Amino acid sequence: MTYLISCPGCGDRGVDDYRYGGSVLKRPGYNDDPELWDSYFYLRVNRAGMEKEWWYHRMGCKQWFIAERDSTTNQVHVTYWPGENK
Amino acid sequence: MAKRKNLTQSPVRQGNRIDCSREIKFSYNGRWYQGYKGDTVASALFAAGKRIFSRSFKYHRPRGLTCVSGQCPNCLMTVDGVPNVRSCIQPLSQGMQVEHQNAWPSLEHDIFGMIDRLGKFLPVGFYYKSLIRPKLLWKIAEPFIRRMAGLGKVNLKLEHGDEYNHRFLHTDIAIVGGGLAGLTATVEAIKADADIILVEEQPCLGGTLRHRVQDIDFPELPGLSAQEVADKLAETVVSSSSVSVMTNASAIGLYEGNYLGVRQGNELVKIRAKQVIITTGSYQIPLVFDNNDLPGVMLGDAVRKLIHYYGVSPGNKAVVVTSDDNGHGLAKDLAEAGVEVIAIADNRPKPDIDHSGVLENPRVPVFWDTSISRALGKKHVRGIEIVTSKEASEYQAPLKLKCDLICISTNSQPANSLLHQTGATIEYDKHTAQPLVKNTPAGVFAAGEVTGIHDKNLNVLQAKVAALKSCQNLGILRRKKQLESLIDELEQLEITSRSLPRVHCSQTVPGISDKRIVCYCEDVLEKDLNQAIEEGFRDIQILKRYSTVTMGPCQGKMCSAAAIDICARATGTDISQIGTTTSRPPLEPVSLGVLAGSVHTPLKRTPMHNRHVNLGAKMVQVGEWLRPHSYGNVWSEYQAVRERVGVIDVSTLGKLDLKGDEAAPLLDRLYVNRIGNLKVGRTRYGVVCSETGVILDDGTISRLAEDHFFVTTTTGNTESMESWFKWWSASTNDCVHITNITAGMGAVNLAGPFARDVLSKLSPIDLSNEVFGYMGNVSGLVAGVPATLMRIGFVGETGWEIHFPSEYGEYLWDSIIQAGQEFGIRPFGVEAQRILRLEKKHVIIGQDTDALTNPYEANMAWAVKLEKEDFVGRGGLRKIKGLPRSNKLVGFVMKDGTVPRDGDPVIDKGVAVGRVTSARYSPHVGRGFGLAYLPDYLAVQQSDFIIAVNGLESLAVIVDQAFYDPEGLRLRG
Repeated sequence: MTYLISCPGCGDRGVDDYRYGGSVLKRPGYNDDPELWDSYFYLRVNRAGMEKEWWYHRMGCKQWFIAERDSTTNQVHVTYWPGENK
Repeated sequence: MAKRKNLTQSPVRQGNRIDCSREIKFSYNGRWYQGYKGDTVASALFAAGKRIFSRSFKYHRPRGLTCVSGQCPNCLMTVDGVPNVRSCIQPLSQGMQVEHQNAWPSLEHDIFGMIDRLGKFLPVGFYYKSLIRPKLLWKIAEPFIRRMAGLGKVNLKLEHGDEYNHRFLHTDIAIVGGGLAGLTATVEAIKADADIILVEEQPCLGGTLRHRVQDIDFPELPGLSAQEVADKLAETVVSSSSVSVMTNASAIGLYEGNYLGVRQGNELVKIRAKQVIITTGSYQIPLVFDNNDLPGVMLGDAVRKLIHYYGVSPGNKAVVVTSDDNGHGLAKDLAEAGVEVIAIADNRPKPDIDHSGVLENPRVPVFWDTSISRALGKKHVRGIEIVTSKEASEYQAPLKLKCDLICISTNSQPANSLLHQTGATIEYDKHTAQPLVKNTPAGVFAAGEVTGIHDKNLNVLQAKVAALKSCQNLGILRRKKQLESLIDELEQLEITSRSLPRVHCSQTVPGISDKRIVCYCEDVLEKDLNQAIEEGFRDIQILKRYSTVTMGPCQGKMCSAAAIDICARATGTDISQIGTTTSRPPLEPVSLGVLAGSVHTPLKRTPMHNRHVNLGAKMVQVGEWLRPHSYGNVWSEYQAVRERVGVIDVSTLGKLDLKGDEAAPLLDRLYVNRIGNLKVGRTRYGVVCSETGVILDDGTISRLAEDHFFVTTTTGNTESMESWFKWWSASTNDCVHITNITAGMGAVNLAGPFARDVLSKLSPIDLSNEVFGYMGNVSGLVAGVPATLMRIGFVGETGWEIHFPSEYGEYLWDSIIQAGQEFGIRPFGVEAQRILRLEKKHVIIGQDTDALTNPYEANMAWAVKLEKEDFVGRGGLRKIKGLPRSNKLVGFVMKDGTVPRDGDPVIDKGVAVGRVTSARYSPHVGRGFGLAYLPDYLAVQQSDFIIAVNGLESLAVIVDQAFYDPEGLRLRG
């Protein structure tokens, strides 16, 4: 775990600079089934391959951003601020 | 301490590493010896006549200097109390205390040496096979085995200070290895103005040029000796301002993102390089023959290092075992150093014509087509047995020669572990009997002998191409044409070099004895490997795990090639199909201190820190903060707050400033309480839960304006709450600015019956209950300082939490103390505050809750507004509410005079079923009291339960209300 991630604000930094925030998930709606909520709480796909993830630049600008990372190679292909659709 | 009179004089020596004008005195096993500046511990001891340097791990066989490069385990000693130091690379220093290890009473006469004769009772994997039943057997045997096997002993009394350190560097190109290839690559990269770090494990640059002194024909610097070529290249490199040279620095691992770990002395240097060029060269490896670990059997390069670096004569009568011209050069070196070379045993068939010229040495008989079959002697080499490699040759019977030094100068192994770690493709090439680097990942290059190619001209070309390609990747290459022509030239040379015949000397020579050591570190014998393979451990990876071959301190540097060779032969597999064992960091032994680095404890101080210190406060660490525990007398501090007025520094509270139109909806989503309906000028206590309904934090939310909120968090949760808030804001794309202003704002809590009197002396704000009631907030001046005031009652008295810019901390503190003099004000610390709040049953998140506590257990159900629109934790809390509650946080008072401690167990029917989270003595109640988690069936109103206080069972009674002022009249007063 020594790869680099490029913060959209600060640039390339070692992965230690960041906090991993998990995969980007869809949150169930207010009236959705309890089972749907349960799987949102506990069940993760843990995909081998490209995954959209939340990362927090805790040692830098202290902002959350989204990184598309290949979990098999740790190669981060693109990073962007939430809401910036790429 | 040893006596000086025992000092052994050593003669003046000629070596390119040592300075004989500067003597160094050191002690070895209590006697004083003398070496010179530039000596290593081993070279000085060798010069003083020592030949046995250690006893082996399992059989306690005597071991002498073998590699003189820190690669084998044969010279491990205890230096200044630190065990397992490789004495052959440990620089000697004045007054150094050196001791042998793993032998008793001495290395020369080791009583455990008898184990060597018990070898047949210690088969491979014996601890998987024997001492299993009865179980007691292992318990009896283990201490003996542990005492007899092993290396040095850790000295637990040795104190470590700040000697360990971590350093972080960034560079364009990191070049690992400062030999011919590394220096050439550096020189090329300098021309492109790249920023370079050159890592070299030796004390000086030059690599093999410094000890393999004859064979160099460097086209760019013609007519110069190897030493002079090294000097020239090193001078260019050292004088360049864009290169930073690290010597005595060994790369221990190359991680993803080109993150290079380098150990330099007691420092771990972490280098982030855009490009990495690996030029770590190769090293000689020993052969497997009878008695191959006898002191006096040395690698050829080791002998050359002793001669050239340290000016030590390696022996009197030497035999060189070789398979290339390098060995003949070594014989020349030996002769020049005054060593009588008895013979050269060359594995090659006799050549028709001598190409190189080095072979013309009429005084030394050369036995062609032979190899060593056995080293003769008990504690040191006294002779050698030479056999013919092929039956047809002229020497049929083993030939015995008398000698005291056997130089093994046959095969070398590329030092390609770093490349393996990067995932480079390395394939065994049958033609050259070398692992060849076929492909490297992006940003990583290899050049020199590490690639498996042993040809100086090719190696130089490789280095240039690697340097230029790195520069190309960096976008700073100007000479693109040159790169192309170099690549062409390299390809041409590679093709011609492939057609040259090569002779590979087999790693193992047939023999008869049991003692044919494959792995020096763990004493793994050839027969152990054969037996393991017979038992079914046929794959090199499981063969390693079963037999522990390649698993010792040298990490397979000395034995991996031999193990692969034996594995291939025993399984009838082609050597290229065997594969290798996995190379993992660290590449060489690294002490845990180096990995740990120095201990840095970050500490934060509040703006009023110096005032607390001046008042004689006892400071404690709370999270990252230093806070006053008390100012001397907790009880009088308590009394001041309850009866008069007290002031406490609460600057450590986390403070978040939220601004924006969507701040209110965001807070409504984050807190389980309702926040949106909070009026401007009002403050509310709030609870934050995770999605699954676990309490994360609590604090106050103050609405300063319609679109402006001021939020406080628990001291230790500031960072996590900041990121939590920001994540929810980011994930919903709210228009809110969240700023952590913890460090920018200081805060005090002024509380007690006279708090209003003190504050009204300092502030024009109307503090009357009608205007500024409980849970109100007002911004205004206090002692002329702009501040935000909140009426909060954490300690249960009339009080204001005053937040202000931290630069006014000491001034405001002084003003409050001064204004409070006439009312008997006292500063109070964390301990008094803990008692005061506990009497009010106010919980502290993290103290009275844990990572599983939900609001229904912690008596905070009132805060959860499940009916409000969606909020974080609603799904989880809705579910929890429907389930039976398992635990409950209750207040209790002791029925006897005991005072439990935080964490004491709650006992039911002799079993611990719960725990006390906070407990103190209450001056108000006059008893021990506190909060405890009980199983729900015990948490019945006003019933008794048992707490084990100091191991004795004491009765406590559950109290539902707050212990002090349950109606809250005082804090509203």
